[in-house]
Amino acid sequence: MKKLMIMLLLITAFGCAKKYTTPAETTAPPEGPVKEEVMREEVLPERGETIMEERVTERVEAPGRETVVESGVPSEEQVKSIFKDVLFDYDKYEIRPDAREGLNAIAAYLGKNKGINIVIEGHCDERGTNEYNLALGEKRAKSAKNYLSSLGVSPDRMIVITFGEEKPVCTDQSESCWQQNRRAHFVIVKSRFPQ
Amino acid sequence: MRMRKRNAKEKEPGGNNGPSFFILAFIFCAVLCARSFADAKIYIDITSPGIRQLPVSLHMPRTPTAREIERIIKSDLEFTGLFSFVDPDIRGAELIADIDVDATGGLTVILSIKDLVENKEVLKKRYTSNSIRPLAHSIANDIYFVATGKKGIFRTKLSYLVSKYAGRKELRLMDWDGQTSVSISSRGLTSSHSWTQNGKYLLYAEERERRWRIYILDIMKYKEMVLFSSAGLNLVGGTSPDDLISFSSSKDGSSEIYVIDIYGKGFKKLTMALGIDVSPVFSPDGKKIAFVSDRGGTPQIYTMDANGMGVRRLTFEGSYNTSPAWSPDGKFISYVGRYNGKNQIFMVKSDGTDVRQLTFSGNNENPSFSPDGLFLAYDSDREGKKGIYIMRMHMEGDQRITPRDINASSPKWSPYLK
Repeated sequence: MKKLMIMLLLITAFGCAKKYTTPAETTAPPEGPVKEEVMREEVLPERGETIMEERVTERVEAPGRETVVESGVPSEEQVKSIFKDVLFDYDKYEIRPDAREGLNAIAAYLGKNKGINIVIEGHCDERGTNEYNLALGEKRAKSAKNYLSSLGVSPDRMIVITFGEEKPVCTDQSESCWQQNRRAHFVIVKSRFPQ
Repeated sequence: MRMRKRNAKEKEPGGNNGPSFFILAFIFCAVLCARSFADAKIYIDITSPGIRQLPVSLHMPRTPTAREIERIIKSDLEFTGLFSFVDPDIRGAELIADIDVDATGGLTVILSIKDLVENKEVLKKRYTSNSIRPLAHSIANDIYFVATGKKGIFRTKLSYLVSKYAGRKELRLMDWDGQTSVSISSRGLTSSHSWTQNGKYLLYAEERERRWRIYILDIMKYKEMVLFSSAGLNLVGGTSPDDLISFSSSKDGSSEIYVIDIYGKGFKKLTMALGIDVSPVFSPDGKKIAFVSDRGGTPQIYTMDANGMGVRRLTFEGSYNTSPAWSPDGKFISYVGRYNGKNQIFMVKSDGTDVRQLTFSGNNENPSFSPDGLFLAYDSDREGKKGIYIMRMHMEGDQRITPRDINASSPKWSPYLK
């Protein structure tokens, strides 16, 4: 009800403003009845396939000793140790040399586990401006995707999404924190992507 | 030239949901009679340097409703810096606004503005409404128009974003003074947004379920449609007088500048660069587009003709300049530049000369001009949480208009609304 009232206010506040003064005009006609079209909290049409996700834990310091999973379901620990964030320099989106080893491990894992697809999220630190950072984050995610693709991972198995500076993992104002936020982050998806 | 300014007093915001009285609609206003403005006397010439303040008296009944109306009118006019208020019992005012308020059954207000020097009535008008705020802002607009010969901005609104939590930003709408805030879209991560120049539509880029789409909302019908959707990042930039929309899309790989009309037709690609091209905004006459590109190695502001030709770099100072916004007369571009490790608002002539820094404390981002060009809205974290501030372009003083406990950012000033 409150929502309806707020919308009524919004509609009418825009719709029924004072008619501006043409001096000859004696009365402005009252506005007609307020049209209402309640905008529902839209429910997106259900896709045929629900995407099942496992969010890989954000920070894993230990390098994955075993990059190749033999068979069956890999343990959560193994997955975490493989899908580490790829970090970037300030205002840059090139893959750094120190990120190659981690990406190689991810490519190898994806080569052995064909049933797994990934979402690559691009992120930035807070220092830039929001819109530019969204574009920068996308470039970072795409750099990671291109690198994995060059190692033989099918592009169909990877989608990229940018969140710019909107989803930081660390909120201190320090270089070490900003470095953690300048990242490509991997989310594992256990089904085909729609489309 | 560095411009100085100070923080003005904070107004008490709030009023997200006023009493039911406010929620009732503003029905209509009627003109009793009005003078012809064509050859009207101008009391304050706002275009001249060294503007004087016009002494004005408001004569109102002493009822709570009338006092509320008076408070809003005074607050509007005072922030322009162009008016001083004189007690109606004391001489000295040049104009007196006699405001008669009848609050029995709806709200009827009769405004009579008299020139006390020439001792004649210059405007008489009746307003009928169920809502105090728009009515009071309309009266302030009329007093302002009588005094300056210019349209007031007191009925304009700002769209802006409120952070709910990481990765979730809601698009909201509020009056220019920060009051009567309402939610527009709260289903995802909203980013860039823009008004069409008739004030009828809001455009916004929002991420929902990992897709960045550009939406268009008919504000009166409250109906939302997808304007543009593709793989990758789509961000709305600005609008032209003939309802073209500039936006960036990475649908072909890298983020490039495009235009489309409000019906989703007339799609045109304007840039071809390998890096990032983003944040395209039309000049007020629709002939040029300013945008951000990293084609020179760092993000800088560029301008080009609206057909994509004649690209020219505008900013050269510093290594990070983004978020361009044209002044309504087209003469200036305000933008965000990184300076001494902080983001600050700058302004430059549209030919690239005469760079001025407008903010100095905290991080200040997302500039947006009022339709008369006399004010600039932006967000700042200078007092902790990000909030929306309004700066006066021709004199000192800026004012926070959003509450301190809300993380508000990215104001976009509406055109004049009727």
